[in-house]
Amino acid sequence: MSLKVVPQAIEIRNNKIEFDNLLFFIVDSNSSVKIEPLIGYDAIIIDSKDAEFAKLILKKIRGHYNPEFYLKPVFLINYKESKDPILHSLNDGFIHSYDQLKEIADVAKQIFLKTTQLDYQLVATFEAQMMKKVLNFMFTRDLKTLKPIPDLNSVIGYTYPAISVNFDSSEETQVLEILEWGEREGLVWPDFHERIYLCNQCSGGFLSYREVCPHCNSSNSSAQDLVHHFPCAYIGPLSDFQNNVDNALTCPKCNKALRHIGVDYDKPSIIHHCNNCDKNFQDFFVKAKCISCTQDVEVQYLIPKAINVYKLTKRGRTAASNGFLSTGKEVEDIFGTLTMAVFKTMLHYEIERIKENPEQQKSSIVIVNIENIFELYKKVGKKAEKTILESIVNLIRENVRPTDFIAFENSSTMYLGLINSDALQSEATLENLKTLIEKLIKNNFNDFSANINFKVKLLQPFNKSEFQLQELTKDLFD
Amino acid sequence: MRFLDEFINYVSSVDAAKLFRMFWFFFIFEFFRFFLVEISTIIFWKFDSIFRKKGIADARLTLMKSQPLVSIIVPGRNEGKHIFKLVNSLKEQTYQNFELIVIDDGSDDDTPIICRNLEHLGMISAFYRNDVRGGKASAANLGLRYARGEFVIHFDADCSYDRDAIENILVPFYYNPKIGAVGGNVQVRNYKDSLCATLQALEYMDTISIGRITTSELGIYRVISGAFGAFRKEALDRLGGWDIGPGLDGDITVKIRKLGYIIHFEPTAVCQTSVPVTFKKLIRQRLRWDKSLIRFRLRKHRDVFYPNDSFKFSNFISFVENVTYNLILNVKWFFYLADMVFNFASQLIFIIPMNICLYTVNNFMKFLVFSPFRDRKNEGITYFLIYLPLMVFYFGYFLRIVRTTAYIQEIFFKASYKDNWNPAKSSRQAKIMKI
Ligand SMILES: [Zn+2]
Ligand SMILES: [Zn+2]
Ligand SMILES: [Zn+2]
Repeated sequence: MSLKVVPQAIEIRNNKIEFDNLLFFIVDSNSSVKIEPLIGYDAIIIDSKDAEFAKLILKKIRGHYNPEFYLKPVFLINYKESKDPILHSLNDGFIHSYDQLKEIADVAKQIFLKTTQLDYQLVATFEAQMMKKVLNFMFTRDLKTLKPIPDLNSVIGYTYPAISVNFDSSEETQVLEILEWGEREGLVWPDFHERIYLCNQCSGGFLSYREVCPHCNSSNSSAQDLVHHFPCAYIGPLSDFQNNVDNALTCPKCNKALRHIGVDYDKPSIIHHCNNCDKNFQDFFVKAKCISCTQDVEVQYLIPKAINVYKLTKRGRTAASNGFLSTGKEVEDIFGTLTMAVFKTMLHYEIERIKENPEQQKSSIVIVNIENIFELYKKVGKKAEKTILESIVNLIRENVRPTDFIAFENSSTMYLGLINSDALQSEATLENLKTLIEKLIKNNFNDFSANINFKVKLLQPFNKSEFQLQELTKDLFD
Repeated sequence: MRFLDEFINYVSSVDAAKLFRMFWFFFIFEFFRFFLVEISTIIFWKFDSIFRKKGIADARLTLMKSQPLVSIIVPGRNEGKHIFKLVNSLKEQTYQNFELIVIDDGSDDDTPIICRNLEHLGMISAFYRNDVRGGKASAANLGLRYARGEFVIHFDADCSYDRDAIENILVPFYYNPKIGAVGGNVQVRNYKDSLCATLQALEYMDTISIGRITTSELGIYRVISGAFGAFRKEALDRLGGWDIGPGLDGDITVKIRKLGYIIHFEPTAVCQTSVPVTFKKLIRQRLRWDKSLIRFRLRKHRDVFYPNDSFKFSNFISFVENVTYNLILNVKWFFYLADMVFNFASQLIFIIPMNICLYTVNNFMKFLVFSPFRDRKNEGITYFLIYLPLMVFYFGYFLRIVRTTAYIQEIFFKASYKDNWNPAKSSRQAKIMKI
C-alpha cells in the first residue's frame, strides 16, 4: 500500500492536528512565510521537503525576539540529513510519518515544562539580552555546550547556530562578541577549538593567503634554490647548473660537475623571481586577500580570534531559570543620568518633600521603554549603543527641567522623575519626547522606526518609592 | 753635542762613491723606482692630460647622454649599520642611473632586518642574503649574478664616496673602450684618529694615489681596491666573477688584464675609507694582504711568467715589478742590513742616523713635489708635515717586518688557507686545487 497511513485518531484539517491536548500546525511550502499567525499553536511541524523553505521558517522562528516564538517546539517531517547548521541544530526532532506524533508530543511537553521555570526578568544590555535568549533556549532543550560548526555561509567560516540565527551570516563576528561577553560574565567557559584570522576591514574570515612580490604585490612568482659552488665561488640559481639533457649539475663558471652537497657545493638560500615585474627577491610578503571585500591585507594586520567550544558554567546553567544580574556598567556612566540606586534615593527625598503639602506639590514618575531598540543595536553594532543612549538623554535633558532626574534600568528602559509636574503635564511632556526620540532615531538610523512605550504615574506621598516603581513597571509591561 | 759634531764631520767626509756604497739599496731600488720613475711618470701624465682633456670631456658627455644602468654591489657581513648611511650618501651622486644591490654573507647581527626594511622602502634595489656564510667572493658573485647593469661597481659598506665619484669612475670606459676595469682613489677618512691612522693616510697618499697613477700610466696597475672599483659587466661575466679570497681584488684585476683589457686608475674618483686605528689591527690587516701576494702572484697566476697563449708583456712586467718590489726587495733589504753590519760595523752609529736623514729628506722632497699633483688634499699639507719623519720607521721598518712575517708564514706554512676570512668549506676546496 503506497498511501500514507494516518491512524484514525489523527486528523489533519487545514494543516492543523490536535493530538494529546496539543495543537500542532504543519507548515509546508504552500504556507505563508509569515510566522506571526503561528503564535496560537503549541508546536510546529515543518515539512522540509523543500529544505530552503523549511530553513527560512525555522530561522524566522528561532530568530524572533519573542520567547513565544523562539522557544516554540519545532519538528521536521520529510527531513533529509542536511548540512545546514540551522536546520540541523535548531529543530527539536524529526519524524518520518505522523505515526510518530506521540514521540514529539512528549518532547514538546518536556519543553513546556522547562519553559515555565524560566525567568523573564528584563536584562540590561543587548549582549545580555542575546545571551539570555540563548540560555533560555539551551535550558529548555537541555543543551550544555555551544559548538562551533564549520559553515561556508558564515563570513568567519564558523557558526554557533543558537546565537547565529539572530544574525545575518554577514554579522557573524557579532556572535563572537556576544560569546566573549558571556565569557567575561562567567556564563560560559571557553575550550579552545581553533584560531581564525579576520579581515581588518570587513571582519571576513574567507582569506586567500599568498606569497607576493614585495615590489609589485603580484603573486605570480617562482622560487629556486641558490647554489654556491665552493671551488670557484660561483653562486646562482639552480637552473644555472642544469642542462636540458640529463640530471647532472654542472658549474657554469668552471664546468665542473657538482658532486656532493656540503662538500663542494651547498644551497645557502632561496630566491624568488617575480614574473610580473621581473625583479628577484628573497623576502616575499605574505598577504591575505579577503574574498568578501577584496582587500589585500598584510598578515600582521589581520585580526586573530579564537573559535571556542563554549560550555555552560554553573552560573550559566542557573541564569536561565533564576535570571542574572549583568553588571550593567554600560548604562551607568551615561552623562546626565543617575544610577538606579541614586535615583531611588532622590525619589525617597521627593516623597518626603511632597508629604508636607500633598495638595499643592505634585510630581510624577515615568518609565520609558524602547521595545525594539535591541534590533537597532543589532543593526549598528554594539559600539553605537552608548552613543545612541547618550543622544537620547541629551534630547530629554533639553526638554525637561534641570531639577528633573533620569536613570537607566537597562539599555532599553529608563526612569524619569519629573518634579512639580502633575500627571497631565507629564503625559504631555512624554508625548512630545516620544515623538522627538522617534524622529531622532529615524533620522540617524536609516528610517528605523522605534517602538516607544511609556507610562506616567503621579508620585504618591504615602507609598515607598521601591513599590511605586514596581507598580509603574508592571503597568507598562502588562 | 759631541756626537753631533762627529756626525757632521763624518758626513762631510763621505764622498759620492762612498755614499753610494753605503746606501746602495736606497739608490738602486728605492730612489730609482719610488722617486725617479714616479716623478717622471707623473710629469708626463700631467703634461699628457692637456691632450686628454678634450677626449675626457667627450667621454663624459657620452656617458651622461647614454645613461647606462650601473649595478652597485655591496657585499658584506654584519655591515647593516653602515648601509643606511651609504644609501643616503648615494642620493647625492651626480650619476643616478644605478641599482644598489646589497649582499649579506650570513650576518649574525641585525643586518637582515635593517636591509629588508630599506629594501621594502625602495632605498635598496635588492637585498640578497645567504643564511649560510659563503665568503666574500661568493657574496660578490651573488650580486653579480642578479646585476642588470652594463657596468658593475664594487663598494664597501663602510666607505663614503665623493658626490661625483660614480660619474668619474665611469668616464674612462667611454674614453677608451679597451678599458675593462677602473680603480677608484681610496683615501683615509679617519686620518686624525690616531698616529697609526695618520701614517696610513700618508702611505695611501703616496702608494695608492701617486703610486697608482704611475702604475696605471705604465700599464702595470695591479690591484683595483675592493672599496671602489668599476668593471664592465661583460668582463666579469666572462670570468664568472670573483674567485675565493683573500686577495680577490688583485686576483680579479689580473684576470681582467689577462682577458686583454686595460686596467685604469682614476684619481678623480674619490672614496674615503676608515683604516685600522691601532697598530695591532693594522698588522692583522697587512698580514692578510701580504699573504695574498704570494698566493696569487706566485701560485695561482704563475702562468704569467710562462710564454703561453695568455702571455702579455705588460702582465709579465706587472708581475715582475710587483714580485721584485715586494718579495725580492724585502729579502734584499736583509742582505743590505747584513752588508752594513758586517762591513761598516764601526760606522753604524753614523750610518743609521744618516740613513734616517736620507729617507726623511727624500720623503719631504717627494711629498712637496707630488703635492701639486694631488687631485684633492685631505687637509693642508701642513698637518702631515710633522709626521713625515716618522715615515722612515713606518715604511722602512714596521711595514717591512710585517711583510716579511707574512711571506714567511705563507711560503712555508700556506697560512692563508687557514684564515677565517673564508669559511672552512671554501678554503678546503681552494687548497685541493692549489690556488
Ligand atoms: Zn664552479
Ligand atoms: Zn613583482
Ligand atoms: Zn574584507
